Amino acid sequence: MERGLLSAAQVDPVLTREVFGNVSKTSQLIFYLLAAAAVLCFAIGVYRRVRLWQLGAKPAGKSASCKALGRKLGDILFQRRMINRSKINLAHRLLFVGFGILFIGTVLIAIEHVLADLLGREPTDPLFHKGLYFALYEVTLDLFGLAMIVGCCVFMARRWKADSSIDRYPADWVVLWAFLLIGITGYVTEGLRIIQAQTPLPGWSFVGYGIASLFQALDMSQSAATEVHIAAWWFHAVLALAFIAAFPYTRLMHSIAGVLNLMHDAENLGEMQLVTLEELEETGRIGVSAIDHFDRSRLIQLDACVSCGRCEDACPAFEAGKPLSPRTVVQDLRTHLNVVGPGILATTKDAKDPSDGDSVDIHGDTISAETLWSCTTCGACADICPLGVTPLGMITDMRRHLVGEGQLRGAPATSLQKTQRSGNPWGLPANDRFAWAADIEVPTVKDNPEFEYLYWVGCAAAYDRRIQNVARSVVKLLRYADVSFAVLGAEEKCTGESARRMGDEFLFQELAAANIDTFKKYRVRKIVAHCPHCVNSFLQDYPQLGGNYEVIHHSQLLDLLVETGRLPVSTADKQGKVVYHDPCYLARANEVTEAPRRVIAAAHFEKDESRLTELPRNRRHTSCCGGGGGRMWFDDSPGNRSGNGRIDEILNSCAETVAVSCPFCMVMVSDGVAASTSQESVQVRDVAEILVDSIDLDSLPGSSSS
Amino acid sequence: MKILVPAKRVPDTDQKIEVCEDHSGIETGHLPFVVNPFDAIALEEAIRIREDRVDAEIVAVSVGDLEYEEQLRTALAMGADRAIRVDCIESLDPWNTACVLKALVEQESPDLVLMGKQAVDGDCNQTGQFLAAMLDWPQATFASRIKCLEDKLLVDRETDAGIETVELPFPAVITVDLRLNEPRYASLPGIMKAKKKEIAEISMGDLGVQNAEKMHTVSVRSAKTARKRVMVSSSCELAEKLRESLKST
Ligand code: SF4
Ligand code: SF4
Repeated sequence: MERGLLSAAQVDPVLTREVFGNVSKTSQLIFYLLAAAAVLCFAIGVYRRVRLWQLGAKPAGKSASCKALGRKLGDILFQRRMINRSKINLAHRLLFVGFGILFIGTVLIAIEHVLADLLGREPTDPLFHKGLYFALYEVTLDLFGLAMIVGCCVFMARRWKADSSIDRYPADWVVLWAFLLIGITGYVTEGLRIIQAQTPLPGWSFVGYGIASLFQALDMSQSAATEVHIAAWWFHAVLALAFIAAFPYTRLMHSIAGVLNLMHDAENLGEMQLVTLEELEETGRIGVSAIDHFDRSRLIQLDACVSCGRCEDACPAFEAGKPLSPRTVVQDLRTHLNVVGPGILATTKDAKDPSDGDSVDIHGDTISAETLWSCTTCGACADICPLGVTPLGMITDMRRHLVGEGQLRGAPATSLQKTQRSGNPWGLPANDRFAWAADIEVPTVKDNPEFEYLYWVGCAAAYDRRIQNVARSVVKLLRYADVSFAVLGAEEKCTGESARRMGDEFLFQELAAANIDTFKKYRVRKIVAHCPHCVNSFLQDYPQLGGNYEVIHHSQLLDLLVETGRLPVSTADKQGKVVYHDPCYLARANEVTEAPRRVIAAAHFEKDESRLTELPRNRRHTSCCGGGGGRMWFDDSPGNRSGNGRIDEILNSCAETVAVSCPFCMVMVSDGVAASTSQESVQVRDVAEILVDSIDLDSLPGSSSS
Repeated sequence: MKILVPAKRVPDTDQKIEVCEDHSGIETGHLPFVVNPFDAIALEEAIRIREDRVDAEIVAVSVGDLEYEEQLRTALAMGADRAIRVDCIESLDPWNTACVLKALVEQESPDLVLMGKQAVDGDCNQTGQFLAAMLDWPQATFASRIKCLEDKLLVDRETDAGIETVELPFPAVITVDLRLNEPRYASLPGIMKAKKKEIAEISMGDLGVQNAEKMHTVSVRSAKTARKRVMVSSSCELAEKLRESLKST
């Protein structure tokens, strides 16, 4: 071949290429028919999933602000929810953006072709697919095609290696091969087109140009290229159309379900859906016992889950060898939906009344009770899931059913019973609730009706001797700093947080209603509590029942008091390594991570936070102590507790003190350390206890050194 | 098969019990009440028997005033099929309770009466035995395992000497011990759903029984518990203290 490739520019000065060049009119027609069939197949596939989703009731809609929507859109476009696993995240981003750009490019071509046709233009005279636009288009698509291929290869390599963290369906290979072949055949077709059509400045399509050069080096003639081109073009086209047709039947469906799920305003971390008595009376059930009892957003989530296993990696129960993997919960429910869903759809269509459908119990065979009870409701799964799936939400939905049906036994059942009777899970006499303060001066709401902060003591500090010391420390600090505060004394009842997360929704509502009444009686506006579970409940549970307060954790208030100089810490530098264990409900659910660190640093390290030792999993990515979600009340043998991995982490840090800021963590970590066979030992102390030690309390105004 | 389960209303054992100033009884104003824990175990066992034998019907019964309905609701929520309250404003002694139960048994003709070995308020441990004797039915007390076969019952009894296994024909009275099972928790939705189930009310007169007091409460006093508590700072010190106290006895 004598003619250089670039010389083609002299023949035709317009920088473009003919859309459907070398493709006969008949072939074009066949192509469009096939495309229509593919789109139809796609639509049917999506419709079938949508029908299954519609088995679930429409969730109560929350109106999202534009800002929130923008943030979510950003999360999707920049794939911001993918953290950890940096290699695979990069691969996914490449694949995502590569495929996205190629898809948009193809759509633009289609628009060009249809418009040009409508306007009756010659095939060689495109509307906008020319000139600079064309050059940029070519270079961009070639670049992102490469991105797609590279991403795809990383995925293939991982699938090739025995990586146990991912789940495998045979269809996944088909999907990956389809991506790869579409990419490669696209380039080959482009290369052949460059030889065949002799388009000007083919260097813009740099990959295709490379391939063209290669073919030419192999002595391919223009006529040969013309023949091979049409074959390659068809191959590429059919593959791409088959891909579109197959899309909703493979795991690729996650992109549609995932986007829907991420854009929908699901519950925040730490939030739960409210069930009203009216709903209970209407439906005659509470919680979920059959797949169609889940609401629609949960069913969409089943399709969004790609079984990547990130949630499983983050799950403390799984880590401890409990029979719970959040991934498996979601996948098992999905399989179950696929098996029984069509049947339910068929029967409901006949019955015309959705409640008449034949639904199958998911408890037992599909999801076992032990699985559901193993969850600590730490929220790690929901937080880590790139697609915003909330295995936790599904678990608590199903727990509600178990509790409603009286299927909870033993110690945890007793704790609920006791909470119901005595207003605390220990079942200790309600009128002993204020006994902890017998030997110190604590203002009650009656003593100080004009209080600014209500100090919420909580059940643990009221009844557990170890935690009482935390409450005492808080009281000392608040009094020293001259904060106007008061406690409810014996009028406090359990917040109901634990009951709610165990699935006893109405016990929670009963307790919450009683507390809200008490708050109203004493005109409570601001609440400070040393228990993140209580804080979270006041922030996320109580507003659902009409209780809105300004709520802060004691570490935040103490931080403020230190900051403003109202708590003058002695600057004496203390020796010894301190680690801080973030409580799930503070760090993850409510994003309070720095205030407790600042308090410890003030007390120990002359306010230099960098001297605080960090555990491998910290802040938002903390790992649960094992005490949340009612697990505190289960009789686990010490070797068998979720949270043991965390205890090892704490012991391995070789710190002298582990600072906690949650009564549950205090109990679980203390117990875990005591039960550990490790030589290391560590003191477990609340941030308030640590702070109180560095303050000269003898100067407490008007106090006889308590 | 029909199982009758008596369920007594008793004060929650977790609470601090205080004696009235006139020593006539205990202060109940602030006390939450529960189903006698042993009766709850009996009910749980009845439910488990029904889970194996589909044809079983469970009838929970109580002898007391309107407040007893709270406990019967709980029993219904746990799984009893229906409930009967024999209206009675006095607190009956075990003999009279047994008389009422006997009349009920004659009316309902159950195959099995399953009840707690005692109620945690009076701790009498007599009603079941009285009832069996009055009915002249076989009885097994302190059951820690019950096997319900087609035509007979196999019961493990906890005795001081060990576990004794007895065989009983129907109908029979069984009183249950603590280790038989862990009763289920009746949550609020369960209790609400149980509202649809019926609680029948019968008067003592309808049953032809009168309260003929055999036992009379003279006065109630709280037991003086002089517990000596010592805080020790280490396990060594604890061992030392224990050794000393052993030596001194
Ligand atoms: S729920 Fe989310 S994190 Fe868990 S396997 Fe599915 S996609 Fe992955
Ligand atoms: S909430 Fe925590 S314990 Fe429960 S499934 Fe998710 S990660 Fe596991």
